[in-house]
Amino acid sequence: MARVPIGARISERRRALGLTQRALAEKVAVSNAYMNLIEHDKRTIGGALLARIAKALEMPLEDLSAVEDTRLYQEILELARGMAVPGQDEDRIGGFVGRYPDWAKAFVTLHRSLQDATETAMALSERVSRDPSLRDLSHQILTRITSIRSFSEILHDFDHLGDEERQRFASIIAAESDSLGRSARTMIDFLEAGGDQFQGSSPAQEVDDFLIDQRNYFPALEEAADDLRRKLTGDEAEKDPVLWLAAVDADTRRRALSVHLDNAELSPLPEASRRFLVASHLAAESFDSLLDSLVDDERLTSEAARQRCKDALVRYAAAALVFPYEAFRAAAERARYDVDRLTLAFSASFEQIAHRLVTLRRPGAEGVPFAFLRSDPAGNISKRFSLPGLRMPRHGGACPLWPVYAAFSTPGRSVSQLALMPDGARYLFIAQASSKGWSGQGQAPVQYSVMLGCEAVHMERLSYGDSFAGRPDSLLAEVGFECRSCRRIACRQRAHEALVPSRDLPAERGMALQA
Amino acid sequence: MGAKILIAEDEPFIVESLSFLLQHEGYEVRAVGDGEEALAEVARQPPDLLILDAMIPSASGFDVLARLRAQPRSKSLPVMVLTAKGQAADRQRMMDLGADDFVTKPYGNKDLVERVATLLKQARPVRS
Repeated sequence: MARVPIGARISERRRALGLTQRALAEKVAVSNAYMNLIEHDKRTIGGALLARIAKALEMPLEDLSAVEDTRLYQEILELARGMAVPGQDEDRIGGFVGRYPDWAKAFVTLHRSLQDATETAMALSERVSRDPSLRDLSHQILTRITSIRSFSEILHDFDHLGDEERQRFASIIAAESDSLGRSARTMIDFLEAGGDQFQGSSPAQEVDDFLIDQRNYFPALEEAADDLRRKLTGDEAEKDPVLWLAAVDADTRRRALSVHLDNAELSPLPEASRRFLVASHLAAESFDSLLDSLVDDERLTSEAARQRCKDALVRYAAAALVFPYEAFRAAAERARYDVDRLTLAFSASFEQIAHRLVTLRRPGAEGVPFAFLRSDPAGNISKRFSLPGLRMPRHGGACPLWPVYAAFSTPGRSVSQLALMPDGARYLFIAQASSKGWSGQGQAPVQYSVMLGCEAVHMERLSYGDSFAGRPDSLLAEVGFECRSCRRIACRQRAHEALVPSRDLPAERGMALQA
Repeated sequence: MGAKILIAEDEPFIVESLSFLLQHEGYEVRAVGDGEEALAEVARQPPDLLILDAMIPSASGFDVLARLRAQPRSKSLPVMVLTAKGQAADRQRMMDLGADDFVTKPYGNKDLVERVATLLKQARPVRS
């Protein structure tokens, strides 16, 4: 039976009130000797006597009934036994809980946190040990580190080594460092490749994966958009998207008005955004059942993921309505993917055009394959679409040398860059930053920068590629993907410690070359 | 003549550093590169201590240890297992199989040498 450790509390309260033990004993009608036993927890009391003591000490009875203390006491006793804490008998634990209940609670809370953390660590360790690839890789990495550490210690600790021996050990360290770099690179690649699958639990990540799996092309939505547009505008729209835009504007002006009445925020929107919003409403209304069937997919495992995906597909369908596939693709080819020219031709924003360019994946009528990234000035990434080889980070932390960030310094003007990655791959990046709508007097503008990226092999098809034509690799912007996995160790823009050692390029050449 | 130590490890640089350190302490060191070889070498010329990498190829470290413990001649052979950090389940399994000590990679030279000395000091006679 657990002892209820209230003696110390009675004693402390008595002293706080300036009462002697004898005075308290008299007040509650017990002998001084008995009160002494109570205060030393040698007697367990309850009922009327406990109530009299509580009254004499002007404290609530619950504070002395020790229900909470008993629970704490039992819990700490269990912990102390489980942890094999030496010298912990029941009396001492009782004294601890009775005298320092807040500390006792803190101890229990800390222990629970430790247990949670331990369980998490064990679960992660289990994952590593169950996965043969990870297990082998981690063993390789630790073995390389062991060699490097051991030979480094030998070089340090053994003064009598001959030159030849010293040289051999130094060369082993160098060789093992190289191997370590390769193993670490492999592990990072493995985790990144596998990570996309492992991390499928978040709705945003599931939607990303779903769109990438579909190559961001949804023929059913394209077809539905074409049908609806014909119904609204007749066949002329296929030939002249600008003409159709005028038509759809006329048709949807009433809708725009109702949206405006429902949403006071609509009025400050620029024309391009307003038109797109109206198209989104139209798409959501007209394609509801089709959208539901598209998101009824096992890759989207939660209602939140399905809803998020449906929202993304509404925007896709809106783009398909406003920018008819074939007309848009033909215009893009004619304009050599000059986004600024396309924004004028389609009365659209840079972001809308960039978004639509990414969806030009119809088999047999494909546009240039683009990756897409949207960031705010703080580096938070809100939209992304990766290509094989050109992966866009899920969260903040893309390479700060990418033009998506530099574009914030020249809003409304496109910035391009021919980027050389640490692995030798070359990509053409085009970015532009802009403010979204009107935020209100005195309010900071809402700003985003949008970036398209494609492999340099498509450069000749893009007007942006002209300024880089014939430029040797030595004059390209040496960038990376993101800091931690980047091999450009001495990069002057480095923000995080690298996980991978460098055999590569000097820092001075890590500065981006903007066109 | 110093105690005989057999290293069963497939990483040549680990073998080289261990050999250097242990020979410097006066031990007689031999090395094999896989599990089957380790078993054969123990049978052929029993060492005073086996340093066994848990991830050695051919017969794994687990197999080697289990088979050693099943043989009367090597039942009490002191075995130090080299294991990778984070493989708690492996360590427990090795312990159950009768490993005498674990050294986690990456280890420090001084710690390893001290633990080898301790194991050899504690060792009971291995061979009849």
